[in-house]
Amino acid sequence: MTDFVLRLLRLDRRVIFLLIAVATLLPLLYPVSLPIRVSPEVQRVYDYMEKLPAGSLMLLSMDFEPGGKPELYPMAVALLRHAFQKNIKVLGMTLWPAGAGIAEIAFTEVAREKGKEKGVDYVFLGYAPGDASAVISMGQDFHAAFPADYYGTKTADIPLLQKVRSLRDMQYVMSLSVGFPGIDTWYVYGKEKYGFELGGGCTAVSAPRFYPLLDTGQINGLLGGLRGAAEYEVLLGVKGKAMAGMAAQSATHFVIIFLIIVCNALYFLTGQARGRQR
Amino acid sequence: MSAFIGLSSGETPALPGTETLMMRELQLPRRHAGVFFACLVWGLLLLPVVGRAQETDASSAPRLEAFDMPGDAGDSIGLRWPVLTTESKTAVYRVSLSKEQTGAFTPIAEFAATTHYETDISGPWWVWGAKRKDVHFFQVKSTSDFRLERDTTYFFQVTFSDGTESLKSAIVAAAPHANLLNWAKLNNFGILVAFGATLLVSIRRARVNPHIFLRRIPGLDAVEEAVGRATEMGRPVLYLTGSGDFGGSSDPSSLATIAATVILSDVAKRVATYGAELRVPHRAPIVMAVCQEMVREAYFAAGRPDTYREDTNFFISGDQFAYTAAVDGLILREKPAANFFMGYYYAESLLLAETGATTGAIQIAGTDAEHQLPFFITTCDYTLIGEELYAASAYLSREPVLVGTLRGQDIGKGILLCVMVIGTVAITLGEIFSVPWVKTLFQLFNDVK
Amino acid sequence: MLFWKRTFPLLLTLLLGITFTAQYYVPHPASESLLTEVSVWGQIISGFAILLGVGSLIRSHYVKIKRREAGWGYSGVMFLSMLIMLGAGFWSGGKTEGTSFGWLYSYVFVALQGTMFSLLAFFVASAAYRAFRARTPEATVLLVAAILVMWGRVPLGEHLISGIGSVTEWIMNVPNTAAQRGILIGVSLGGIATSIKIIFGIERSYLGKD
Repeated sequence: MTDFVLRLLRLDRRVIFLLIAVATLLPLLYPVSLPIRVSPEVQRVYDYMEKLPAGSLMLLSMDFEPGGKPELYPMAVALLRHAFQKNIKVLGMTLWPAGAGIAEIAFTEVAREKGKEKGVDYVFLGYAPGDASAVISMGQDFHAAFPADYYGTKTADIPLLQKVRSLRDMQYVMSLSVGFPGIDTWYVYGKEKYGFELGGGCTAVSAPRFYPLLDTGQINGLLGGLRGAAEYEVLLGVKGKAMAGMAAQSATHFVIIFLIIVCNALYFLTGQARGRQR
Repeated sequence: MSAFIGLSSGETPALPGTETLMMRELQLPRRHAGVFFACLVWGLLLLPVVGRAQETDASSAPRLEAFDMPGDAGDSIGLRWPVLTTESKTAVYRVSLSKEQTGAFTPIAEFAATTHYETDISGPWWVWGAKRKDVHFFQVKSTSDFRLERDTTYFFQVTFSDGTESLKSAIVAAAPHANLLNWAKLNNFGILVAFGATLLVSIRRARVNPHIFLRRIPGLDAVEEAVGRATEMGRPVLYLTGSGDFGGSSDPSSLATIAATVILSDVAKRVATYGAELRVPHRAPIVMAVCQEMVREAYFAAGRPDTYREDTNFFISGDQFAYTAAVDGLILREKPAANFFMGYYYAESLLLAETGATTGAIQIAGTDAEHQLPFFITTCDYTLIGEELYAASAYLSREPVLVGTLRGQDIGKGILLCVMVIGTVAITLGEIFSVPWVKTLFQLFNDVK
Repeated sequence: MLFWKRTFPLLLTLLLGITFTAQYYVPHPASESLLTEVSVWGQIISGFAILLGVGSLIRSHYVKIKRREAGWGYSGVMFLSMLIMLGAGFWSGGKTEGTSFGWLYSYVFVALQGTMFSLLAFFVASAAYRAFRARTPEATVLLVAAILVMWGRVPLGEHLISGIGSVTEWIMNVPNTAAQRGILIGVSLGGIATSIKIIFGIERSYLGKD
């Protein structure tokens, strides 16, 4: 018996991997709809966007590369949908070189869905090299930081950017960040210097790190991981990819909880056995 | 006196019909700064009782003042005027601007008369003095519709309107100037100087008395054991300096990366002494170049330059997951007996440490990336938490100078803790017993811009 | 020789350290321009540093192939992948829309990166099974907090126990934030101390020994 328990405690991790794979796949194949509660930090981003008047300028910095796509891409899509619904003008960019491709896809797809025109309703500027210095130079002279957009059009010729001179002209900046550069960069070198309102989105693994910034007002709201994106979709009343992924996430969380309970039960069993032997 | 706030006396035009203003507000920060430390306590005690002698105006138009905003890059102008007794919730103020005194005025803002007070200003008392609830304040900044040019004089007028009457203020002028110092950050500078001085004094004292107690850091004590184990098993020692770079102040990973390279030097010396093999894969080329130099020096210092291999440090990829995959592969193929994960990490921390754990290696991690600490604590044998990583060079070398800085750090932390506890209690009591200056006093420790 | 290797870098560090500490307190546009300028220099240096990295990468894999070390075939795969991606990039002029480079980006690079990131879920599970044991009271607290957060962060958890979401939120907003701040304060002080040590040349081990 003890041997069996010990063997279970040293379970081959491939078995655990298999359990997780099944827990992820099944809900994706057979979707289950579950009610999602909206957290205050997501609500705050939504409310702020709601209050922005039509024609306001919002900068969406998609500071992630393909690794962060599963969690951050649905956030970008949800935010873009909301902005376009509210007729907010959106400027898109990324501080990550490998992120320009995915960011461009998000802008093109949502703009097509909402019937928005490039250069008039939105602009995609592409990758800005230089991390903090990119943010600072955008604050000093937007057109010097981006002489042309992602497609090579001169920013001076883009109607939407005619009146944009600096980051000070932005009514809202959202950074969807997977690491550095990201939310920290936009706060320290952007918000602090140029005084715009800043919101953040991040992967679930790094979300705990940004909670201290919420209370101090350094960011006005936070979308954390796929759950954050799903909550935003709930607020928008749209069933998106994030909501579809929540059932899979529920299942994997419960598999992990189950595994923790099992391993602790086994651990106590072996402990009692050790006690009896003594 | 026709000098307008924000204009130096030499360039102030004499403007007939405009209201006489005083330079007092602009000069306040400089004067306060000069005697900042000496007058700190007395100034605070007097603040609640010394208010500006400005009376609420019941009958006439708003008495408007315009001034250059202190401590900025010359991109904004402040406007203030006393509250009118006829203000109501339906009344509004409209702020208009012109480049010429007699030119057409363009409205730039309109807001309810019961909003925009001086008390809304977030600036500290040593710049703004006592802020009043009976004085309106509006900050004129560039917008997408109009731009404030530096060193250009602008004319302002405020119109009060409550549906029945419309009162116009006198026209006032001011020019935005770029300032050389942001006095609002004076407290920040003071704390920096005080902390720096504490550190330097601690180092000086440590030179005189090098016997300073250092609490045990098990993770660093285990370095010897880990290297010894690798030598016995004939397997390599894997050392990672994290995902960071020497990216300057904008990069949160810089200091952790420097600390990781410092610890590498010590680990390399022990590896060289024992005759084990060291493997150091890198994500950042500059860090690799520095580490090459440090490891080479360590082998020389250990008296084993002959065993140093040029490929001990090698570059893999700047890409997070390509690097992770390659290091995981290395861990699984070469099965190092000891894995060191020092420096700054992102999501790859668990992927690396969990792979290492499955090979049975002894694992020591150290990071100030607080969001990755749970992963290292779960998967590694020892974890250096936060500033323990920075303390490593002092702990390993026991050099009095470095140990002295640790003492200085602890004193700084102690003072900060006291301020936090006393501040929390004092502000709470201040709120309960309605003593507003307590909150004002603790602005000294606020991050004010 | 020692001047260029040791004294000059230390002087440069002192000068730049003090200049850029002062820069924080100076709002004048000239000060910001200086910061931007130096950041741009940093970017240029980093750009050249990539050459250093690529050189090291090529050398180490070339040696592996030459010596026929274990797994040398993977080094061949590395060279092949590098050449294909470089070739596609040059051929497409860096554009991704409808090009071979774009195809490789979307269907190879994105997929590989996503796969690596998704491994986290599997590794979290195996690490939790192996290490999350109630060995000590502290470990038990960690364990209970982890279960509560995992339970309350997903819709199924909230569906099963209503109100657990608020418990999770409290854990994240209060104990988590408090602990994070505590660590942050320590890290920040350590960071300032390390910076002062580096600026004044007290900590110089990163330059190598004398």
